Parts: sequence; structure tokens; C-alpha cells
Amino acid sequence: MAEIKDDVLRLPSEWLYIRELDALKEEDKNEEKPDGWQLSPKAVLKFIVGGKAKGIDITPKYIGNNRLVEIAIATLLTDRSLLLIGEPGTAKSWLSENLAAAICGDSAKVIQGTAGTGEEHIRYSWNYALLLANGPSEEALIKSPIFRAMESGSIARFEEISRCASEVQDALISILSEKTIAIPELGRELPAKRGFSIIATANTRDRGVNDMSSALKRRFNIIVLPAPAQLETEISIVNKRVAEIAGNYRLKANLPKQEAVEKIVTIFRELRRGVTLDEKQKLKSPSGVISTAEAISLITNSMALAASFGNGTVSDADLAAGLQGAIVKDEEKDCIVWKEYLENVMKKRGAAWRGLYNTCSEMNA
Amino acid sequence: MDKKLNLFGVRHLSPGASFHLIQYLEEKNPKCILIEGASDASGMMQAIADERVKPPVALLAYTTELPIGTILYPFASYSPEYQAICWGVKRNREVRFIDLPSSILLKLKQEKQSEKDRERANAFYTFHNEIYDQLAQRCEENDYESYWERNFEQNLHPDTFREGLAYQSAQIREMVVAKELASVPYDFSYNLIREAHMRMEIQRAIVEGYKPEEIVVVVGAYHLAGMEGDLPPLSDKELKRLPRAASQIALTPYSYLRLSSRTGYGAGNKAPYYFELMWEAIQEKKLKDLPAIYLTHIAKIQRGKGFNASPASVIEAVRLAHALTSLKSGALPVLNDLHDAAVTCLGEGDLTSVAEAINRIDIGTAIGSLPEGVGQTPVQEDMNQELKRLKLTAYKSPVAQELQLDLRENLKVSSKEAAFIDLNRSTFLHRLQVLQIHFAEKMQVSQQSATWAEKWVLQWTPEVEIEIVEANLKGETLEIAAAFELREQLHDCTDIALSAKIIRQACECRLTSLFDHALSSLQALSTDSNNFKETAHAAHELATLIQYGDVRQFNLKPLVPILQQLFLHAALLLTDASSCDDKAANDIAPAIHLMELISQQHYETVSVEVWQKELHQLAWRDDLNAKLSGIAFSILLEHSLATEDDCAKEVSRRLSPGVPAELGAGWFEGLASRNRYALLSRVALWKELDHYIQQLDEKEFVRSAVFLRRTFGAFEPNQRNSIAELLGDLWEIGAETAAENLQAELTEKETEKLDELNDFDFDF
Repeated sequence: MAEIKDDVLRLPSEWLYIRELDALKEEDKNEEKPDGWQLSPKAVLKFIVGGKAKGIDITPKYIGNNRLVEIAIATLLTDRSLLLIGEPGTAKSWLSENLAAAICGDSAKVIQGTAGTGEEHIRYSWNYALLLANGPSEEALIKSPIFRAMESGSIARFEEISRCASEVQDALISILSEKTIAIPELGRELPAKRGFSIIATANTRDRGVNDMSSALKRRFNIIVLPAPAQLETEISIVNKRVAEIAGNYRLKANLPKQEAVEKIVTIFRELRRGVTLDEKQKLKSPSGVISTAEAISLITNSMALAASFGNGTVSDADLAAGLQGAIVKDEEKDCIVWKEYLENVMKKRGAAWRGLYNTCSEMNA
Repeated sequence: MDKKLNLFGVRHLSPGASFHLIQYLEEKNPKCILIEGASDASGMMQAIADERVKPPVALLAYTTELPIGTILYPFASYSPEYQAICWGVKRNREVRFIDLPSSILLKLKQEKQSEKDRERANAFYTFHNEIYDQLAQRCEENDYESYWERNFEQNLHPDTFREGLAYQSAQIREMVVAKELASVPYDFSYNLIREAHMRMEIQRAIVEGYKPEEIVVVVGAYHLAGMEGDLPPLSDKELKRLPRAASQIALTPYSYLRLSSRTGYGAGNKAPYYFELMWEAIQEKKLKDLPAIYLTHIAKIQRGKGFNASPASVIEAVRLAHALTSLKSGALPVLNDLHDAAVTCLGEGDLTSVAEAINRIDIGTAIGSLPEGVGQTPVQEDMNQELKRLKLTAYKSPVAQELQLDLRENLKVSSKEAAFIDLNRSTFLHRLQVLQIHFAEKMQVSQQSATWAEKWVLQWTPEVEIEIVEANLKGETLEIAAAFELREQLHDCTDIALSAKIIRQACECRLTSLFDHALSSLQALSTDSNNFKETAHAAHELATLIQYGDVRQFNLKPLVPILQQLFLHAALLLTDASSCDDKAANDIAPAIHLMELISQQHYETVSVEVWQKELHQLAWRDDLNAKLSGIAFSILLEHSLATEDDCAKEVSRRLSPGVPAELGAGWFEGLASRNRYALLSRVALWKELDHYIQQLDEKEFVRSAVFLRRTFGAFEPNQRNSIAELLGDLWEIGAETAAENLQAELTEKETEKLDELNDFDFDF
């Protein structure tokens, strides 16, 4: 592993949590490990969901349904590849990075998929100067992250796989089923070493995303990462992130009151799931995505509003403006959705909600 | 209690327990088998063990008088009790049930329901259930079911099962028993009395000459401690003092569907068919093949539905299930692992695409059957009881007879039963209707709006008998069966009007329990619906129920918030719905009238404000359907939300020569469709109309005359006369002269003109 300088903006997970990983390795010394794994499956699970090892607190990396993490780890145990899909802001990449870091101590073999990603980024390409000078040779070969992962028996990551063109995605099909890359130019093929696997992530909701062929999907075990299941989980995620972002941007507004965050998260959850928290009333969902990430940006936005144009305290009006913008994206329809929500749900919630209700209905009139 | 006694604690509906129990019976070879179950059902052992009986079946005890109560002992092929009965009967051993007789159980259960402190009781049961969850968590399992399956069902080693379960149950019982006494004293003593009775029956068997070591006692594992303890058995004297309800007990066919959704035996059984597969696998000694069997079944269903589910995917799913098991250090995948493997490998990570297949394999569709002559169906019993109670036995004849009902309270009679007998009859007949038991047919009553009058024709045919037996699968009594049926319908219901109808049926059948469910389903559907007409009609249905429903002695409060929502929803849909052509407007116009009716009748509950605001929009906007705008405007006029001035202005604006004649006249038609007398009194309106007509040139006049003629065609003759008189006044020729002119015969020329109008060719 290369030396990491300390002025990088963001450390990869295996460096960020190096103490935790060392503790787990120590604790895990005598456990049987699958080929190519530096930790046993149970230790990997502990690294992701949190716990204690050798007196060191293992922070939870993924807050949510632990069972999904178990399925992910079990998938990698069977040498199948893993595809994490979900709406924006559901911690797909974060989970994939940490899984790779825990299993093979290297989360850097990554392909960042874009519309411009070509087949050579998945297989291999050539150093053309050498290629022209000496013809095809091992030295002239430029290996892709997947190539290197196959050589070393470790995990390659493929981010945003659905942003690549379908033909490019299909280059993966034979790699995944045969676990070899043929290099006809050198007259050989590269068989994958035990421990090789791919963790891919894909976004289901954004526009401008290519469909994945069912042939490719069949070769993956697919896990759908859901939005946070519990109100409390989501509130704590929002609180944590809002405080971090406010610190980063040095916003001069006070953090919003706890009840304001609770209200926003409640509204978002109810509209997202199309049912009130007590599950007694069905609601219509607006056309756009209203993810946890949007709740976070809504609250930081209202803080910016309050800091720049208000008295530094987030008011109902600041929140109402944010809500209107986040929920009513496609004019007509969303407007009615929001109005019905205001009248049927929010209005009946009593005095604590009255202020927000009033400003929201004014804004939505 | 005697130490030599052979006690076997089971979990009801457990294949693992069945397997071990049979081994145990083979080993101990008892002469007498005593089983937890109502002791008055002991006579039915032969019937239960009959080879022609195909489980699932259930022993059903039910009261034969009000209030209705039932106790159910369901048996699947893998029930340890069922297996023990078959084992014993086949070998001619004495097999008995040893719990309290059903008459006492039913009565005690009814008394017990008066447990006063509901909150404390709930807190206790939550605490009790949490112990099981904690146990699972300690063993790193996701839930107790997985824990149970991994540690007990899959454990086929001799001895460990019986002792392990007995130990675990004793420990848990010890943890909860003190709190049980404090929190739920009735439940606590109910258990104690039952256990004392079981001890009494054991004692009786010993006195009869069976040696303790020749007896095997099969009870729920929780009761083991009660069998082993030192408490004395119930004495005959004490038994006599226990209260009893008149009751019957019967063997009935049962279904896996109901086994999975409700349980009589306490312990849950969410996946009966999966357990049947497991039972088969255990018997064939290939339990380790169960994951492959299960997942192949799922794949087969998926393929049938057109999804891709290749054998390769099944192989991957089985491997994943095993990998998940290895994370728990288990030997074989449990149902939870299989579900997750199926979702991940066969459903592309999406539960919804495999949910149906999972459900079908978990639950299965099996329905038990009984040979002819065995058992008597409880619904038949209930039917006869009801006929007797409602004095309808005379109608049980093949001749069709008419029955008139007056649902109002009969004030001339003394007893409550007699005062409401017609209402109860109606409830009963409506339930039959819901169950499609064609004993009674509802006739139209001449006076339609009289909600208190009903007319039925009753006729008994052999088909009715069959239909009643069929209804048995839906529930033990007509009430339960009807509720089940409606709930099923509701479940499949996607149409808002239909769900409003189901609410009405629930009212007619007086199925209070269903009500909340139905309302929330209606609410859910209304949220999805974008159809103004449907929503308005559903709102109207509810509004009518609220207004007239109390004749059925029903609490209608829960309807009110739903009405409010439906009304608001419909009101908000109005503008969208109103941009339509004239043909569609014909559907929407009546719905607007209905909404207005609701807003007047329920002005205290519904948001009239929003409604009127939407009407305002509709009335003043030019881009919506003109006729509907007219209707909206006339409603505004009625509420004085538009002034006389507004009216005159709007008439002249809508009916100006530049506006196409059909739009103007259409608007006027809408305006005139409500409350014509009020229109007649507005002189300014007629002035403007007159002014409009004067302005038209020849061609335009003919066009608009065609439309106006249609509008006025809907007026009553005397109203038309009043209009003529009004216009006469305007033209200053005097009302009387105008009337005279109108009464006069048409001249030839006039007839010709009218014919021309009839033949008017619209060159659209």
C-alpha cells in the first residue's frame, strides 16, 4: 500500500479506520478466513455494523438494516459479485468502500463509471509508445482495476455502473461468469485468483441512466439499499450531517431546533413512503425523489437563508420556503399533493405544527 | 407429581417436535397417551385419526348461545398432537384430551376478557415476547423464529430436543410468572386452573390402573412446569363449581391460509406449507435438501409468471442461503435465510417481485377435508340458531315467501330483542348475501329513499345447504365468515366506488370490526384516485350513510374524517376534471350537484371554504367547460357569493356576440340547471339575455336559438310561461299580451321556421 499524505481531502476507509482494522485483525488472528480475505466474515460484519474489538470501539459504518450487510458479506463469500442499488443518498458507495477495505484492505481498485467509460477501462489498454516500439508485451499492458483485482485475488469496485453505456457494461458479463480475461494479443488469458470479486453500485432513480441488461443482472447478487427505516435513525443521520456541513461552510446561523429537524424528517418520510408515520392514512407521493440527502440540504439551505437574510435563527418561514422548493417540483400535481398533505395531515397535528402549517399554506396558495 | 411419568413438552405445529415425539412414543411404548386439548373432545379421537381425514383440520369448540365464543385447535399433518393421536389410535392405545372441557374453557375465556387493566396486560405481553427476542439476539439470530428453527426444528439428535425445550421453557416461565400474576391475574389463574385439571386427568388415569411409566403426557412446553410442580390436582368438587357455557365441539376442515393468519394454539405458524415440506423432508431423512426444494418451488412459480429464474440462479440462491447460515455458524439455512436468498438471487434484490411466490410456498393453498358423516359444520349450526332466534324457521321451505322489514325500533314491545327483531333479521340476511348464500334475495322497495324499509324474498333450496357448508371455510359463524369475505373483497378492491360499497355492506351486516380496515382502505384508494366523479360519488355514499345510517344503531363517528378527506380531495380535483368536452361534462355535472349537496348537509364537518374557492375558480375561468362554469356560477349565486351586479356582468360577458353560440348557450344551460325559480327572480339576468339576442345577426341568432331552445326545453311549462311573461314585461308589451301570444296556435310560417331549426346543420 502506498504511503498516504496527510493533506488529502478525504482518506480512504482502510486508512481512516486503520486502528479499528488492526484491532479486528488482532482479535481475529485464529479464525479461519476465506481465501484472499484479511478478516473473517464475522469480523467484517463487526467492522461495518459496529461493536468492540480488543478494547477499541468499532464505529458503525452503515446505520440501518444489519441483515442487508449480512447478505452482502454472504454474497462475497460465495465468490458471486455484489450489486448495490438504491435511490440517491442511501450509502451505496460508502458501504462498498468499507466492505472492500475490510475484506482485502484496499478500497482503491475502483472504476468510476461515466458515459465516457470504455471497455478498455474494464479490461486493459496499451501504452501506445511501447506498443508501437516493441509490439504487444507485458510491459506495454495497462491493467484496469478489475484486471489487477483478478491478479491479486482481491475486490474491485465499480461505481455508478448504470452510467456506462450498455455495451460497455456487457464487457463484464464474461468476466463475471468465466472469471478470466482473455488477452489475445499476448496469446494468454488471466484467470482470477481466489478472493476476486466485484462490488458494483447503481442508482435507480436518476434520469439519464442506462438500463442494465438482464444478462448482467443475473450475474450479480442484487441488494436494494432502502432509505432509513426508522425515524430516529434518519433524524440522527440528518443531525450529524447538518452539523458537519454547517461547520464546513462556516454558516453563521444557529443549528435548527431539534423539533424543526424532527418535523422536516417526518414530512419527508411520510411523503416518501406515501403513508403517515402511524400508518393510518395513505398519502400521495410527489413526483421527485425526496431523500435523506435532500432533507439535509433543505435544512442547511434554510440555515443559509436565516444567516444571510434573517436573524440567524431558522424560522418556520425559512423551512416553508425550503419545503415548497423540495416538494413541489412538477408544478400542478405536486402542488395538489402538498396541499392535501397540509390540509389532511399537518393541519390536524395541533398547535406545535400550526406555525409551519400557516406559512406553508400561504406559500402554497 | 410422579417422577416416573413421561412428560413431553411440544411446540404446537412443529415438525421437529412431531419427529421427536414419535421417536419418544416408540421408545416408551405407552399404553395411555394424554394430550393437551378440551377433554370433551376425547370421543373424537377415532374420527381425527381416520385415514380419510386429510389435514389441516381443526377441532372447534363454540358456544351455542350469545355471546359467541370459539376455541380452535388446528391440526396440520406435522402437528405433534395429531401425530401422537394417529400413533395411539392405530395401535389401540388409550388416547385422551386432558384440558378443561370446552364449556368451561369458553366461559372462562369470556370472563377473562374482562381483564381490567388493558395497558398493564399489554405491557406484560410485550415484556413476555421481548424475552424471546432477547434470547434470539443473544444467539445472534435475527428473530425468535430463526432461533427456534436453527436450534430445535433442525436438531434431529435424539434426547436433546425434549430436554432442551423443557429446560428453556422452564427458565422462561420462571422469569415471567411473578409478573404474570401481578399484571394479568385472570390469564394467570386461567392457566393454573387448566393445569390443575390436566393434573386431575393424569391422576384419574393412574387411578384407573395405568402405571405412571405407561403414560405419556403431551402438553405445550410452557405447561411442563405446571405438570411437574407440587400443586394439588383439581378436585371434583372444585370442577363442579367452575362456570360453564352451553357449547358444542366439532371437527372441521381447515386451511393453511387461516392457519397462517390466525392461531388457536398460541404459538404462531406463519409458513404452514414450508413446515409441511420440512416434515416430508424429515421423514424421508433428507432435511438437508430442504433449501433446494424450497427455492426450486419458488423458481418454478417465478418462471410461471414469466420471470427469469434459471436453475443457475437457484444454485446461486442455495449457495447464498448456505453462506448466510455460515455467518451464524448454523448447519442449515432457516426460512429467513431462504427468503433473503430468494429475494437477492431470484428477485433482483426486490422483495415485491418474489413476494407472491414466497407467500405461496410459505403458506400454500391446502384445504383439509373430512369424510362424509364426520363432524358437523359450525356454520350450519349457527345458521339454524340464527333462524330460530330471529323467528325465521317458517321460511325454511322450498316455497318462495316474501318478508317485509321495518328496521326502526318497535316501541310497542317490551324486550329489546323483540324491538329490533327486524333490524337483526336484516343484518342476518345481508350477511347471507355477502356470503353468497342464496337463501334470501333483496327486492326493490317502492319508496326508494325510505332507508328503514326492506323487502326480501326467502327460499330454501339444496344449493343453500351446500353454500353454507362452503361458507364454513371462511369462518365458524356467519358473522366471522361474512367479515372474512368482506375483508378479502376489500383486499382485492382497487375501485373507490366499490370500496365505498363495501363500507355500506359492512354497515348493513353490522360488522364493526371491519369498519376501521374498510375506511383506511377507502382512504388509501381515494388518495390514489384522480377521478373527480368517483371520489364525489364515494363521498356521497358516505354522507348518506352518516345522515341516515343511525337507523342501524351504528356508531358512525369514524366515517366523518374520511368524508372530510374525500370531500377535500374531490374539491381539489374539480378544476382539473372541468377541462373536458361536453360529453364528459355530462358525467361531471351530477357529481358537482352531489358535492354541493354534501357541502350543505354537512357544512359543519366538510371544508366548504375550499369547495367554494374551487367553484369560484371554475365559475370565473374561461378555459374550462362552459356548462360546468355555468353550474358553478349558479351555486355561487345561491350562496350570494356573486352579487346581482356580478351576475349581470357575467351574463353579458359570457353571452357576448364574439363568443361562439354553443359556448354561451352551454354556459347558460349550466346556469339554468339549478334552482330555476331563483333565476326567474333575477330581472337583470333576463335583461342581459335579451340584450344579447338583440345584438346577434341572423346567422348567429339561428345558431344560438338552437342551443337556447334545448336549455329551455328542460324547463317546466309554467316556468317557460313565467319567462315569457318576464320578457313581455321587458319589451313593454305587458305580461298578459305575451302570455296570449304564446297560447295562440302556431302560424304556418312559424311552424316552418321551427322545422328549419330542427334541421339546422351544424357545420362544426
